[in-house]
Amino acid sequence: MAEQPIEPIHQFKITNIFDIGTFGGDGTTGGIHLAFTNSALFMVLTVGAIGLFLIWGSARRAIVPGRTQLMAEMAYEFVANMVRTTAGHEGMKFFPLVFSLFMFILVANLFGMFPYFFTVTSQIIVTAMMALLVFFTVVIYGFYKNGLKFLKLFVPPGIPIYILPLVVVIEIISFLSRPLSHSLRLWGNMLAGHIVLKVFGGMVVALLAAGAWGIVSIAPFAMAVALTGLEFLVSALQAFVFAVLTCVYLHDAMHPGH
Amino acid sequence: MSEPDDERPESGAAGHRATAELEARIARARGQRSAEAEAEQTRQGDMSGMSRGFRLASEFVAAILVGAGLGWIIDSFLPTRPWGTIILLLLGFAAGVLNVVRATSDMNKANPPPANAPTVRDDDD
Repeated sequence: MAEQPIEPIHQFKITNIFDIGTFGGDGTTGGIHLAFTNSALFMVLTVGAIGLFLIWGSARRAIVPGRTQLMAEMAYEFVANMVRTTAGHEGMKFFPLVFSLFMFILVANLFGMFPYFFTVTSQIIVTAMMALLVFFTVVIYGFYKNGLKFLKLFVPPGIPIYILPLVVVIEIISFLSRPLSHSLRLWGNMLAGHIVLKVFGGMVVALLAAGAWGIVSIAPFAMAVALTGLEFLVSALQAFVFAVLTCVYLHDAMHPGH
Repeated sequence: MSEPDDERPESGAAGHRATAELEARIARARGQRSAEAEAEQTRQGDMSGMSRGFRLASEFVAAILVGAGLGWIIDSFLPTRPWGTIILLLLGFAAGVLNVVRATSDMNKANPPPANAPTVRDDDD
């Protein structure tokens, strides 16, 4: 308790680990300053962990799989089934994208559950970039595959002509809101979950420091334990939800007529 | 088991009774297992209730934000201030409701109510 009071937000602070340099600008102002941050470090660790896991899992290629191979195969099967049921068999051409997103989010979320680890997915820029990647994939592939028929996505069938302009505007707003809700959900869940965990943990420390009141600290401690379990669930669930919605949007790109 | 011809029970009334009993037992076991599976499913549904709520909330809020943002952009290029923002904000609300309705119908389709669920009479019929 020698340090400053517990701040629940402190865990999301970006710190530079080493500087790469400033690009552009005139030396004193302007330009883009690049640095290798703790966020970048954990992204590298996440990708490294996934790569190691999958390479290790597929190295032996045994007919009767060992434990690691079984886990790697289960991850593949799980995502492949999800893509087939949600986006159809055609959607399997996007399997690498969906699998990468799912594994990255899942491992980044689970990394965040370690004490003192940085949660990459609690930064909205990270989730927004992933959502925009999906959004632009849908738009570009939709136009590439269907041409101008892709615009049928905004014209639902069976609408009387006099309210069609209104409906089209609403549909366009609804379509444009997808990347926002897609990224807000993952970010909000991770941010809120980690703040709540920190608040309850901080309560335990504060109560223990308050002498006789320390006996009350059992309540927030129990809460923190329960929330930790819940957070593991949320970590897996949000990765799943992100991947499922990616498949749903890709399905729209392939079949814009609904 | 005392009778020696108990090994081939398919002839006679006793065999018939044994088969019926076995069928009943299988049916009972099946019913029990599907009930357990159903209970498991509802439990999982309850656990993800928070995530469903979060999904609906973010769908609704995102559409409003996008509507207002689009209106703001239009207003900053055209001399329509403040009407673009106001009208597109309202349309954003409509799009938010549309998003929520779509998300809910997707969820209902993915998780239909169990077949033996009690049906509530609809007053409109």
